[in-house]
Amino acid sequence: MKNIVGWIDARFPFSAFIKHELTDYPTPRNLSYWWGFGFLAGFVLVIQLVTGIFLAMHYKADSNLAFDSIQHIMREVNYGWLIRYLHSTGASAFFVVIYTHMARTLYYGSYRRPRELLWWTGQLLLLLMMATAFMGYLLPWGQMSYWGATVITNLFSATPFIGDQVVIWLRGGFSVDDPTLTRFFALHYLFPFLISGAVIIHLVALHTVRSSNPSGVNLADRDNIPFHPYYTIKDLFGLGIFLLAYFAIVFFKPDLFIDVSNNIPANPMQTPAEIVPEWYFLPFYAILRSVPNLVGGVVAMALSVIIFAAMPYLDRSRITGGAKYRPVYRALFYVFIVDIFVLGYVGAHPPESLLKLVGEVATGLYFAIFLLLPFVSRWEENKLLKECTLPPAVQEMARNEIRGSHD
Amino acid sequence: MTRFMRWSTCTALLMLLCSGASAAFDLAAIQKGAHVAVEVCNGCHSLKYLKYGDLLKIGMTKSEIDLMRNDKKMSEPLIAQLAPENALAMFGTVPPDLSLMASAREGGAHYIQEMLTGFYVDSAGNINNHAFPGIKMPDILGIAQADPASRKEIESKARNVSEFLDWAADPHAETRQRIGYGVLLYVAVLTLLFYLLKNKIWTRIARAQHVL
Amino acid sequence: MCTHKLNDVDGPRRDFLGSLTAAVAGAGAIAASVPFVSSMNPSSDVLDKATVEIDIARIGIGQEKTVAWQGKPVFVVHRTAEEIAAMESSNGGKDPEADQNRVQHPEWLVVIGICTHLGCVPNKTAQGWLCPCHGSIYDNSGRILSGPAPKNLILPPYHFVSNDKIMIGKAS
Repeated sequence: MKNIVGWIDARFPFSAFIKHELTDYPTPRNLSYWWGFGFLAGFVLVIQLVTGIFLAMHYKADSNLAFDSIQHIMREVNYGWLIRYLHSTGASAFFVVIYTHMARTLYYGSYRRPRELLWWTGQLLLLLMMATAFMGYLLPWGQMSYWGATVITNLFSATPFIGDQVVIWLRGGFSVDDPTLTRFFALHYLFPFLISGAVIIHLVALHTVRSSNPSGVNLADRDNIPFHPYYTIKDLFGLGIFLLAYFAIVFFKPDLFIDVSNNIPANPMQTPAEIVPEWYFLPFYAILRSVPNLVGGVVAMALSVIIFAAMPYLDRSRITGGAKYRPVYRALFYVFIVDIFVLGYVGAHPPESLLKLVGEVATGLYFAIFLLLPFVSRWEENKLLKECTLPPAVQEMARNEIRGSHD
Repeated sequence: MTRFMRWSTCTALLMLLCSGASAAFDLAAIQKGAHVAVEVCNGCHSLKYLKYGDLLKIGMTKSEIDLMRNDKKMSEPLIAQLAPENALAMFGTVPPDLSLMASAREGGAHYIQEMLTGFYVDSAGNINNHAFPGIKMPDILGIAQADPASRKEIESKARNVSEFLDWAADPHAETRQRIGYGVLLYVAVLTLLFYLLKNKIWTRIARAQHVL
Repeated sequence: MCTHKLNDVDGPRRDFLGSLTAAVAGAGAIAASVPFVSSMNPSSDVLDKATVEIDIARIGIGQEKTVAWQGKPVFVVHRTAEEIAAMESSNGGKDPEADQNRVQHPEWLVVIGICTHLGCVPNKTAQGWLCPCHGSIYDNSGRILSGPAPKNLILPPYHFVSNDKIMIGKAS
C-alpha cells in the first residue's frame, strides 16, 4: 500500500495535501459543536447530489408527465419513495444547517477581518442554494410548485423599463409552463455542481485564514491542535446526532415539509386558498409583502439577503470576537433571531390587519438592527473599555487594534 | 444552555417519532374499504395511480380482484367509469382523482371520513355537507337520510374507505416505518461509538495539558 | 511543535474502539448503497411487462403473428401438417437441433424474431424466414439453414395457460 501511495506522491501532491489540510492542519482547541455545521452542510450537499441524480434517472421534466413521474418514483421504482423523501427532507435539512452555520458566524464575529472573503463566498453559496431550492420546488409540478413559481417569477417585473420582457424571458412563455419546467430542471441539475465548486473556494479561503473560535482570540499555529483526529471524530459525532433527527423525519414524518396542496397536480386555472413558500423562504417573503409597493418590496427582499455582506464593515467594534465579551451585541443578536422567527410566522399567514402591522414592524426592526450596528458597536466598545470589565488579554488586543488603526 | 438544547431536541424527536409511527395498519378495514372504493367510489372517481394488481398488497386474493376488475387487466389503473365530459354535464365539475386524496387535504383520512359522514338535510330541504359546504358530490353513502341503525353501518363504511384511501396515498408506509426503526437503531449505536471514540481521542489533550 | 505528541498512537484499547467504529460505519455505508443500486433495477411497472399473454385462438392454420415481448418481436406461428412433417424430418443446418426440442406442441412455433447474426428482424417466407440485412435463411422451425447467422432463432420461455392462451416470459 505504501508503495502505491509513494508512486502517486512522486506524481501528485497527495500525501502532502492530506498532511497540510488534515493531519497537520492547526485548529483552535476550543471549537464548540457550533463549528461542526460546515461539515454537516457538506454532508447534506452530498446527500442531495446523490439522491438527486438517482431521482433524475426516473423523473420526467415535461408538464404533462412530471407529476405522474413523481408518483411512478413513489410507487413503482424500487426504494423510490426513500430516495424522494431523502431529497425533499434533505433540502430542508440543508437550510437548517446553513442558517445555524450563519448564526454561529454572526454570534462569534467570524465574519470579521481577515475572514471577510470567507463570509462573502458563504453569501454566494447561500444565493446559489436559494436559487437551486426555488427551481427544484417547481419540478413536482404540484399546485404550490406552480403558483409559487408564478408569484416569484412575477416579481422580476419590478426590473426597470424591461420588467415584463424579463419575466417572459425567464419563463420562456407568457406563463409558467413546459419551457419553464424544462429549463428549471436543467439549471437545478447544474447549480449543485456550481455550489460544489464554490464550496471548494470557500474551503480554500477558510484554510488561508484558519477557523475562528468562541473566544475570538486567535492563537498562533503552534498553540493549536491538528484537525485530524480531533475534529474529524468530533464532526462525525455531530453527524450522528444530525442523522438521528434527519432519519426520524424521513422515515416517520416525511410529509412534514410537503405542503398538502402539492399533492394536487398544477392547475393554471385555479389558485389554492393560501400560497405559502417553503419555510426557509418565509422571513424574506414576509419582508417582500411588508412593503406595499411592488418594486419597493422586491428591493427590500433582495436587500434583506444581501445586507449580510456588509457585516464586516457594519460591525465597527475593535474588541476581538463577537458576542462573547459584548453584551449589547449579544442582545442585538438575540433580538435579530426572534425577529426572524416573527417574520417567518408572518410570512406563513395571509396579511390581515394585525399581522400586517406586526410584519411591518418586524421588517423595520430587521433593517434597523443592521443600520444601527455601526453606532451601537462603537458606543458599546467605548463603554466597555472605560469600565475595564473585559479580560486583560482582550483589552490589550482591542487597545492595540485602536492604536494600529490610527496610522 | 446546552443541557436545555439536548433535552428539547430529544423530546422533539420523540414526539415526532410517536406522531408518525402511530399509524395503525388495520388490514381488515383497508380491505373492506377497498371494496367500497372500487365498487362505489370508482364509478365516478378515478384512482389512476393504483392498479388492480396493487390490491394484492393489502392481502386481497387474485380471485377477489378478478371479481372487481371485469375485463380490465391486473396491470391496468382504476379509471372511473364515468367519463369526464359526462361528469361535467351531470355535476358541473369533474370528480377529483382519489389516489392522493388522503394527503391532498388538511386532516387527511380523518377529513375524508368527516366529509363522507357529514351530509345532512338543510333547512331548505337540500342536501349539504358539514365538512365541505356546497359540495357537488351526492350523499353516496346515504347518511343524511339514514335511520340510526343504518347510520352506524355507514359510519363504519366511511371509516374503512378512509383507511383504504390513506393506504392508497402512501402504500409503502408500513415498510418505511419498519426500515425506519432499524435505521434509527443503527445510527444510535454508531453515534454512541463516535461519542466514545471522541472522548478517548480528546483525553490526549487533557493529558498533554497536564504535561505542559 | 506540540502536534506530533498529540498524534501519537494510543494503546490497543483505542485501536479496538477505532476499528469497531470504522467497521460499523463501513457496514452502514454499504447498506446505504443498496436502495440506490436497487432503484436502477426494473421498477414494478416494467416487471409487469416481463410477461405477455397471447390469445392464439385467432391465429388460423398456416398464419403467424408477431407480438412484442420485453421490447423484442416474437413470432408465433400456427404450422400446417406439411410444415410440421418437413421440419421433423431434418435437423436443420449448421446449428443442428431436432424440431421436437424446439416446440411444446408441434403446431405452435414460438421464437424470438431477431436474427442471431447482427440483430435484424427476418421476414416470413413460405419456407421459413429470410433476413433482409445479410441474407440468412431460416426454416419453419426457426433453424439457420444458410447465411452468416451462427445459431437458430432463440426460443423464449413460454407456456400454455390454456388451449387458447400462451404466456411468453415464463416457462411454467
